[in-house]
Amino acid sequence: MNSNQTFISAPLGKKMALRHFFKHLTILTSSYGFCTLSSRFIHPSLTTLFNNINPKTQPLIPTKFSLPLSHCYTSLSHPSTSTLLSPYLSVRIRCPKDIADVFSEALMCFGATSTTVDEDDNCDTSNEICIESIFPESEDVDVCILRASDSVGLKMIPSYEVKTGEHYDWIKKTQESFDPVEVTEGLWIVPVWKTPPDVKATNIILNPGLAFGTGEHPTTRLCLLLLQRLIIGGERFLDYGTGSGILAIAALRTSFEAVAESEHETYDVIIANILLNPLLELADDIVSHARPGAAIGLSGILSEQVPCIIDRYSPFLDNISVSEIDDWACLSGTKKLSGN
Amino acid sequence: MSTLKEILTRRPVAATIRLTVPAGGARPAPPVGPALGQYRLNLMAFCKDFNARTQKYKPDTPMSVTITAFKDNTFEFTVKSPSVTWYLKKAAGIESGSSRPGHVVATTLSVRHIYEIAKIKQSDPYCQYMSLESICKSIIGTANTMGIKVVKDLD
Repeated sequence: MNSNQTFISAPLGKKMALRHFFKHLTILTSSYGFCTLSSRFIHPSLTTLFNNINPKTQPLIPTKFSLPLSHCYTSLSHPSTSTLLSPYLSVRIRCPKDIADVFSEALMCFGATSTTVDEDDNCDTSNEICIESIFPESEDVDVCILRASDSVGLKMIPSYEVKTGEHYDWIKKTQESFDPVEVTEGLWIVPVWKTPPDVKATNIILNPGLAFGTGEHPTTRLCLLLLQRLIIGGERFLDYGTGSGILAIAALRTSFEAVAESEHETYDVIIANILLNPLLELADDIVSHARPGAAIGLSGILSEQVPCIIDRYSPFLDNISVSEIDDWACLSGTKKLSGN
Repeated sequence: MSTLKEILTRRPVAATIRLTVPAGGARPAPPVGPALGQYRLNLMAFCKDFNARTQKYKPDTPMSVTITAFKDNTFEFTVKSPSVTWYLKKAAGIESGSSRPGHVVATTLSVRHIYEIAKIKQSDPYCQYMSLESICKSIIGTANTMGIKVVKDLD
């Protein structure tokens, strides 16, 4: 907690450095999927934001969140949020029960992007069932249903109603599904709309928006456990591809001093919880941010993908070790002291 | 094949969801968001899982996903590689099959193409116990219905 205080009350001279740190974090982030750190977060309000931190429970992220920016990690441009909240059509189709499966498949072939059939509980005596289906707004629903009916040999076109999809509904339902998670003893991740189950614990109050890192994912846990082992105090930590910012915040809460002086472009601890392909492609870049001897943690990968990562990173890292939860793996090592 | 234990501990199913999602590109947006949100499934866990498991495919390859949503808000999903017709059209570089299959040949492909598609399809669930030869035969059958002729060697 002391170093947390240090961080908050960083002298004016270091504020630029702090900003630099977060800017960096965000730049790396924004080229990834599911980032929620809006520009609002990095700009001058940053200092105000951190000055507001109390030692125990407090919202660490502004409540106003932009939606994820891009799903494509190679794209450096910021597609507008409109691509994520693009209009969609929600179509409810009534069709005979016995053909629900084939008809769903046919709809998928002719333009639907999703079909959902509720489980038949046998308490309903009608021989019809509803298929909830989603179409892109540009799709001609009438033509699709006509073709799909034709292809499965329906004698008549089933009745259906078309509505414009409401984004509010699914976003709200999704957020309701997030529950507080105890990552390790005394460290809780609590969505901002839930009450912390244990007020005495270290609570990371997070507004995850729809971003990754709500705490329960095995890779988030692996990274947090690694972080807990690595962070003693005073390290410069980089969360590469930050998502909801959970790792960076956890580092802060455990004990972390952001003294990223501007002449030091490197970090003592780097954790990248992304995906196999970006980890392979960005290996040089990720490693270049680490000082020799720095600890590097790589996750977001399945156990079966570990050999690829080891191949790619063994020229850079010593003391490679792998930890696993379920199918997921986290590889850690230290940057080689010399050579490349 | 289910074991006895799996049958006894089977969770009640709420719904079956079918989705087309680009490889490595699941994100909290339609159709994934609304489809999963309806059953309060963990959207981000699905995206992370799906994206990690489809890293070996070229980005944006349309994968077909079938999700079983359980009543306790948990889920399981299977990912299938794109449809055989999608691969055949890609391999042949055509937008659609023949308008009169059996009469008009849209294009020709060599058995090599078929073999490559069969190798990918073999990694799909339910195809892993089929021989490569029988998968090839089935793909040739599909090709014929699209008006794509399969030859031993392309000239």
